[in-house]
Amino acid sequence: MLIQILLVLGFVLALWITWKRYRQNVITLIEALGWSILWVGGGVISLLPKLTEYLAAIFGVGRGVDLILYAAVAIQFFLIFKLFVSHEKTERLLTKLVQQQSLSELNSKDKESSS
Amino acid sequence: MKVIGVVPAFNEEKRITDVLRAYLAYVDEIVVVDDGSNDKTAEAAKIEKVNVLRHAVNRGQGAALRTGTTAALELGAEVIVHLDADGQHNPKNIPELIKPLAEGQADVVMGSRFMNLEPSGMPLTRYWLLKAARVFNTMALGIPKTVTDPQCGLRAMTAKAARTLDFKQDGFAHASELLRLITRSGLRWREIPVSISYSQESLGKKVRPDALRIVWHLFIGVFTK
Repeated sequence: MLIQILLVLGFVLALWITWKRYRQNVITLIEALGWSILWVGGGVISLLPKLTEYLAAIFGVGRGVDLILYAAVAIQFFLIFKLFVSHEKTERLLTKLVQQQSLSELNSKDKESSS
Repeated sequence: MKVIGVVPAFNEEKRITDVLRAYLAYVDEIVVVDDGSNDKTAEAAKIEKVNVLRHAVNRGQGAALRTGTTAALELGAEVIVHLDADGQHNPKNIPELIKPLAEGQADVVMGSRFMNLEPSGMPLTRYWLLKAARVFNTMALGIPKTVTDPQCGLRAMTAKAARTLDFKQDGFAHASELLRLITRSGLRWREIPVSISYSQESLGKKVRPDALRIVWHLFIGVFTK
């Protein structure tokens, strides 16, 4: 079916970009592997949709589609949380720079007063 | 013993000169950190015995305190006193905070609004929020419930303690983080009653502690190295 072809092409593209970013040192090996598992998993499920029903039965979820939706929500929550942590790190880095610049004023005042 | 007061200030142009003059009766020097104010706070703070530093952008009370504490250590402080710029703190409490440090009985002395001295003008909502914050501090952060004030900004510490307490929170969450570090660091600490007076001006400030934001920053801070 056309939707399967489009989805698989999308996942292959995502996989290619992921490893390209790894080679460019944009992401770590662990991150590249994590994303790859997601894309390959998406590709396999696109080609074998019946597999979701089997997995849904294991997890005790009614339908395969429901399982995908639940998993998608959980993954999105995780990614948003990672963004928050990354944002906090950037904020702290900015604070550090602001503090260094501010403290350099004190050091320059000290030099002025001693000379 | 060289005592340096650290005063983080944000948009306090109108009050800061008088507040600093009142503090200078009890400390040797002051470090004011103008935390990216939009008004002339830095200019108003430039009086004798006051070192003024400026954050290029607003980074929060915790960040300003960290900058000021580092500066105070560089200036040779033996005791550092954290003070507010809005005139809520009573300067007469400073000698009481310093006394246990000077006598070698404590490394950190924290002010408390809940030790028999009733704060004047504190809104009832803030009173109950602080009570709730105390429970949160005990249950979520493991701060001993003997600590009566979860968010008081008036505290004094020795230089050794200031070097030990490596707090990271930039905003108002620094108060809880500091309490956690103080009570777990092996430093000798104690609380003493202090009198805080709330004015309409200080209560009307645009930047005020927000309980949910503090909880969120403490939570996200656990995952941020």
